[in-house]
Amino acid sequence: MKISLNEIKKLVKIPENVSDEELIKLIGARLVEVEGSEDWSKKYQGIKIVRVETCEPIPDTHLHLCEINCGKKVQVVCGAPNVHAGMFAAWIAPGCIVPETFGTAEPFEIGSRKLRGYESSGMLAAADELALGEGHEGIIEIDPEMPGVKPGASFAEVFDLNDIILDIENKSLTHRPDCFGLIGFAREVAGILSVKFNEPEIDLNSNVKSELKIIIEDADLCARYSCAVLDFKDEPHFKYFTPDDVFLIKADMRPISKIVDITNIIMLKTGQPLHAFDYDKFVEVGEGKEPKIIVRAAKNGEKLELLDSKTIECDENDILITSNDVPVALAGAMGGKNTEIDDNTERVILESATFSLYHLRKTQMKHGIFSEAITRFTKGQPAGQTLGVLKEAVKALGTEPVELADCYENPVKVPDIEVSVSEINGLLGTNYDEKLIVKTLENVGLVCDGKEKLKVKIPYWRTDLHIKEDIIEEVGRLLGFDNIPLDFPTRPFIGAKEDKMLELKNRIRDILSDRLNAHEVLTYSFVSKALQEKFGEEPKDSYEIVNSISPELQCFRQSITPSLLEKFQENQKAGYKDFALYEINQVAKKSDGLNNEGVPVMKTNLALVTSGDFYQAKAFAVELLKELNVQADAKIQTVKNSTLRKFKLEGPVSYFEITLDDFLDALDEVKTKTLRFSRFPSVSRDITIKLDKNTPYGNVENALKGALEDTGLIYKIEPVSIYEPKENPENTKNLSFHITMSSSVKTLNGDEISDIMDGITSKTIKTVGGEII
Amino acid sequence: MSSVEKIKSELSALNAEYAKIKDLPPEERKNFGIEMNKKKALLEQKLKEAEEAVEDAEVAPVDETAPSAPNSEIPRFKLGSKHPLMTELNKVLSIYAHMGFNIMESRQLDDEFHMFESLNFPEGHPARDGYDTFRTAENFIPPAHTSTMQYRALRRFKDDLKNGGEIAVVIPGRVFRNEDADATHEHTFYQCEGVFVSKDATMGQMLGVLKNLFETYYGQKLNTKTQPGYFPFTEPSLEFLIEKPKSLGGKGDGWLEMLGCGMIHPNVLKTAGIDPEEYKGFAWGGGIDRLVMLKYGLTDIRYFESGSLKFLEEF
Repeated sequence: MKISLNEIKKLVKIPENVSDEELIKLIGARLVEVEGSEDWSKKYQGIKIVRVETCEPIPDTHLHLCEINCGKKVQVVCGAPNVHAGMFAAWIAPGCIVPETFGTAEPFEIGSRKLRGYESSGMLAAADELALGEGHEGIIEIDPEMPGVKPGASFAEVFDLNDIILDIENKSLTHRPDCFGLIGFAREVAGILSVKFNEPEIDLNSNVKSELKIIIEDADLCARYSCAVLDFKDEPHFKYFTPDDVFLIKADMRPISKIVDITNIIMLKTGQPLHAFDYDKFVEVGEGKEPKIIVRAAKNGEKLELLDSKTIECDENDILITSNDVPVALAGAMGGKNTEIDDNTERVILESATFSLYHLRKTQMKHGIFSEAITRFTKGQPAGQTLGVLKEAVKALGTEPVELADCYENPVKVPDIEVSVSEINGLLGTNYDEKLIVKTLENVGLVCDGKEKLKVKIPYWRTDLHIKEDIIEEVGRLLGFDNIPLDFPTRPFIGAKEDKMLELKNRIRDILSDRLNAHEVLTYSFVSKALQEKFGEEPKDSYEIVNSISPELQCFRQSITPSLLEKFQENQKAGYKDFALYEINQVAKKSDGLNNEGVPVMKTNLALVTSGDFYQAKAFAVELLKELNVQADAKIQTVKNSTLRKFKLEGPVSYFEITLDDFLDALDEVKTKTLRFSRFPSVSRDITIKLDKNTPYGNVENALKGALEDTGLIYKIEPVSIYEPKENPENTKNLSFHITMSSSVKTLNGDEISDIMDGITSKTIKTVGGEII
Repeated sequence: MSSVEKIKSELSALNAEYAKIKDLPPEERKNFGIEMNKKKALLEQKLKEAEEAVEDAEVAPVDETAPSAPNSEIPRFKLGSKHPLMTELNKVLSIYAHMGFNIMESRQLDDEFHMFESLNFPEGHPARDGYDTFRTAENFIPPAHTSTMQYRALRRFKDDLKNGGEIAVVIPGRVFRNEDADATHEHTFYQCEGVFVSKDATMGQMLGVLKNLFETYYGQKLNTKTQPGYFPFTEPSLEFLIEKPKSLGGKGDGWLEMLGCGMIHPNVLKTAGIDPEEYKGFAWGGGIDRLVMLKYGLTDIRYFESGSLKFLEEF
């Protein structure tokens, strides 16, 4: 939303010691996020209002040779078709920047030059060149009767262009419908400057008697519907460029026709959108003699052609304005084509109503309508103002209503809010006195009653104030949150509880990244069905995102490995050869069901993918689990050839994925690790066993372990090599081990060692067969 | 003659001279002996040094600027890496832990109740739009903010209140927004939430804690300020800003929006079974990605989930 600082200043007297810069800062600190501001004060410098004194066509061209009066006489060549003697226009003097290009990378400076042999100084400007609209069909024409208009007058001064336009972040005002009107915004500015706001007089008297029939079928959809019937002939916007145009353009809207412009201006001032129907068409559509307005929910599939010529299909959430049950407008969003104002319109029905913001929000999303009006309606415009604003609009149109009607069956009653001075200070951590609090609240129209315990009267425009905390926020905000003295909670020294999973994750990261040199990655939680299928997962078991950004991000992942394989390939392609990637993150699948809160069971998985065969991934798993000191079942896998092909991977690649939740409890049990070393010297021996090649390595290692265990020594077994001869008629293999032993009570001598080794080898051979070589 | 040989011959000459001691009168012998021994010790020391110099000279000369000697293998370490987002998150969590906050991780699939209802978002309220949430066919929500855990945090630690304590929890987690990714927007990012509840929590305390958090994180005094905000689950609601720290090239000229915060709305406390008349609280939440981007001057947020080793090897 765009807010003109000059318009604010018309409604609030800004203290002299507050500069524009400071004012913007204060608005940012105490009212709303200001995304940016555009300073127009230099944009129109040197542009003058001039009278075209003479205007002669230049033969064989579309150009005119003009003499203009800008305080003195100057010759200008002008190509606009509407230039004529006697008109007032805007003239960009030589040396000035064309406003359209002001502040851009290439500002264009007007000069004096020869055109078709005629000297031409500066230029007469069209609306687009002035950055005041899109019109380029002709130069702007200024009403000679307008105050201040005379040859040589400053264009910026006459049209109030020495202004600063603020760009307001709408999201931070979602709860403040009143601030979507200049009056509401200005009231807040007064509040933060500690100035009493002078409320503009709006006639809120709702004593209206009318024959006009308004039926609201459901007050939850439409709390109040007011309308006026006027004799009114619309005037398209064609002749003069007016201050109203400037007012609209500053708010990022554009002038269209008299009734549209005036209703828009009223909306920008009050926040209340208005809509005009052609009266006669309205009656005709409803096949009656008098208009009968029925506001109701749409029926599923009901169709309506809108003003933009698009036909929409409604559902029961949409709200319709109907003429005797025939739809004429999609409430809050857009009028229907069947009641559009045109050149033949003699009478209009002007609507001022408020609708359910919840319904309009869905309407907005469903039909993709994002107008200034619906933006305001979806904040919940207060029912209290519809009739008063309507009367203002009729006045602004310069006419009297033929009929004024109002349907407001259950007037909203806003209860007073009670809050004490100590509650205010208690929550904010401040020490504001009662007088200051009351003055602060009353500056913005919140009238307070009582002492210490305040009874705050809520004005109709504050639909956001319901509980005492709301009032506390007003006090804190208007007096400046930044003025609250900083403090700390007073609490005892109690150690924070450890989060077991977080601790485990960090241990794993230390081991894998710092000791085993793997790289931690993070990949998206959403994957494509195609990816899951490539890996052999069933996409149906995934929670599917119904509003996903793309098919690539459609399923919540069931495991991490597929994402890692994808990244593995990208890195291989980038030239990396031997590396390992891992990720720790959450996964879910439907078949795991819901937990006792009724939400999907989430698991925290660790997946690791490495170049190399099965034994490479195994080495990571073994080392990791050994470091963590837990027993866990890690299923190691080599990526299948077909999978390698589908992922375009260069094999061999291997991986494992484990669920950390599974051994969180096991970690608790094994808190300490038994240290196995002796103060006596250790000795080492290598042994090689030759045996049948089909005997699993594990059997041999276990047998060796068993034999060593029996010796009562402290020992370590390390594999040295697994050798299978190329020519292998006996079908054997050689397994070599490096054994380190020490006694915990003495130094072993040579004979003892020989005896021990003999014992170990013979026991092992006895268990697994083969021979020692 | 090498220096070793020269010293050796000097030594034998000295020995020969020493033999003259017996020709001296007895009263001079002592001084002569002392003198000679001194000279001998000196020469022996010289000899030792000369011999070691010869010994050490056998090693090839070193080019201190080279990674290895000629014809030898260059020593290499294979290095792993940790993801910068996780590293930074841990740094933040460790500050919180030192302050005494419990840590509780967020979840990546949640429901309407936790994401909105328990946080005082009325059904169908436009404020829900602001979160651009994803939805699953079953109407579960990959949460758009870590506040989705507030209700659980309040419930889990609420007994601490009854025992005269406070609730002090931080909640890190991955969150999701339905927006197209570009250099400054990601549909997937990380946040950290904080919740504090006690009998006498005030806004002044909240502002003090947050200022201290960022001063600890950046290791310097900082100017801070606020900006009014709107969140249905806090009342009052604020945006918290810090002056750009020196370590990020700040010269006291720019402000950084760091997080949203506010006093917990009484309805949120009530829903979690905590009496808002007796207890007050404050809550806040901010992004982690932004901290890392600011720290390393990273201009494209999409690197984080790119899985690119080229990027990760930098950390």
